[in-house]
Amino acid sequence: MLRVTYRPSTSHWIFPPIILGILALLLAVMTVQRAIRCRRAGQPFFDWEKMRFFEPGCDKLKLSGSVVLFVLYIYAMEYIGFLAASIVFVFLYSVLFYGVERLKEIPAALRSGKPWSSAALRSVCVSLALSALFSTAVWFLFARVFRVTLP
Amino acid sequence: MIEFGLFHFLMAFVGVVVGIVFGALPGMTATMAIAVFLPLTYAYDLHVSLFLLIGLYVGGISGGLIPAILVNIPGTPSSICTSFDGYPMAKRGEATRALRIGITASLFGGLFSLLLLFLFTPPLARVALSFSSVEKFLIILFALSIIAALSKGNMVTGVFAGFLGVFFSLIGQFADNNKMRMVPDFLSVDLRNGLQLLPVLIGLFALVQIFQEAESGMRDDAVDADLSRDVRGFSFSDLKGQVFNLFRSASIGTFVGILPGVGGSAASLLSYSQAKNFSRHPEKYGTGCVDGLIASEGANNGLTGGALIPLLSLGIPGDSTTAVLVGAFMLQGVQVGPLFITNNLDLWHVILLALLLCNFLMFFVMFYPIKYIAAVIKFPKYRIFPVIMLLCVIGAYSSRYGNMFDVWTMLFFGVLGYIFLKIKIPIVPFLIGFILGKDLEKYFVDSIKGVGGSLSVFFTRPMGWVIWILIFASIAWAVYDSGREKRRAAAGSGGSQG
Repeated sequence: MLRVTYRPSTSHWIFPPIILGILALLLAVMTVQRAIRCRRAGQPFFDWEKMRFFEPGCDKLKLSGSVVLFVLYIYAMEYIGFLAASIVFVFLYSVLFYGVERLKEIPAALRSGKPWSSAALRSVCVSLALSALFSTAVWFLFARVFRVTLP
Repeated sequence: MIEFGLFHFLMAFVGVVVGIVFGALPGMTATMAIAVFLPLTYAYDLHVSLFLLIGLYVGGISGGLIPAILVNIPGTPSSICTSFDGYPMAKRGEATRALRIGITASLFGGLFSLLLLFLFTPPLARVALSFSSVEKFLIILFALSIIAALSKGNMVTGVFAGFLGVFFSLIGQFADNNKMRMVPDFLSVDLRNGLQLLPVLIGLFALVQIFQEAESGMRDDAVDADLSRDVRGFSFSDLKGQVFNLFRSASIGTFVGILPGVGGSAASLLSYSQAKNFSRHPEKYGTGCVDGLIASEGANNGLTGGALIPLLSLGIPGDSTTAVLVGAFMLQGVQVGPLFITNNLDLWHVILLALLLCNFLMFFVMFYPIKYIAAVIKFPKYRIFPVIMLLCVIGAYSSRYGNMFDVWTMLFFGVLGYIFLKIKIPIVPFLIGFILGKDLEKYFVDSIKGVGGSLSVFFTRPMGWVIWILIFASIAWAVYDSGREKRRAAAGSGGSQG
């Protein structure tokens, strides 16, 4: 009958290799399944031309921007504190998600002397106000009312 | 005797309202709502927190019907079939009627599953109390095999995801001998207790969603249903002849909820297809048929109580949202599992009361002011998601009373979860594997240490044999079902080609 060597001093290494073995086995099964499927369909195993990671029409700026901003937000919290960093980054996120390309109309609106005719400018101003308002409200609620530790 | 006052009521109310808002916004789910609101529970004891969390759960599941009916986009995956008939009804000027029928079916589903939760959890926990570490190990294995059985057409991938979650849960110190494994030296302090559940699940359920929305450009959905135009209003007589449909849908929802790793979308789809199969006029389904709407909404709210049954009796979460609830219990030092009811009778009663209250609150909050509630789907996403991001950071950071490493962990799992979605590795089995992984290891080692490492211990107890039979049955079903799905898909593509 199958047996596992059990010693208390090395017992932390009993289970991980078993799980790794199962994962390797499952990976092999998945590979074989795919190979059979591709062979039956007459397709190559790796069809690089048809392989697509991002969905069609992917907004790469918003996607990569959201990850990059998050990394910067973490660093910013350590240097300028939670509240200031949150106001800045909630605003930057709002602008990013609104669409940076839509901000192009702002200079023209400013030059025309009718800045409020620009929906983008109005949106940026509202975003700035809401960022300050929400961040302060959330900070007050968690840090002051609920006494939750914040960065 | 449980403590209940105005404050508890208010927490439930806030939970339900916020949950409905989360459920109503496509891209935001009940799971996300609970994940981002968990930090609020640090300030209160578990009794108060449970009213908020269960409110978020019930509200989050129920709110999904609003965009499903009004814009043909399910607010949550569990409302997927609601749009099939709800949207055609809205298009012909019956939006309010469709919403109110859906809300009433949701209330019925929620209350029915609560009754089953009340009836079945204590006996199941009593059976589980007699389990040794062998049976506990096998039960978790059974849960993982069910994930396989229900990962339609992706059986192996589902199991792979589950075991990958188990693998990640093993990182850190092993409790039996306090020795570290799979941790680089420079992270030995941060990862001493392993990866924390809260940052992992916020990353997997909130950040992944935000990244997906960012990828699709944060587009808002156009509302084309007119709530001010009521061609035909709601009347309770609309539910006449629907008693059997209601009971069947709620039963299916509750049953699907009990199965680990199976979400509300499966409950909704299964219930809808059953209702259609049993219908005398299946051709009307998808054209604005009340039966279809009831089938979907009765089932997805039936999930709420059902998913709590394995959680509170065996410690195994029934769906992603109850997996997040595990986090709430862990934060408060409460162990879910067979001893939960015995050791925490008051908490058990609080859960039942909170579910009852939140279901009725959901009904009253949504039923009468539905025209105003429905306006939440007009909130622009670009204003909401940055605030959600803020709440995610607070949730991750404060999970260990202030640790920036957990925020990095959250980001890591956000990116990892996004990659999982792209390469079609399901996230829910991964999370369930992650939650159950440590227990799986503990029970495995506990089982073999008393018998000199012999694996025959897993085949010697009668109850163990019963669980083995269940495991093999679920795997056999998985293989059969997977083959059937493939044959059906092949026939479909053959037919379409022909």
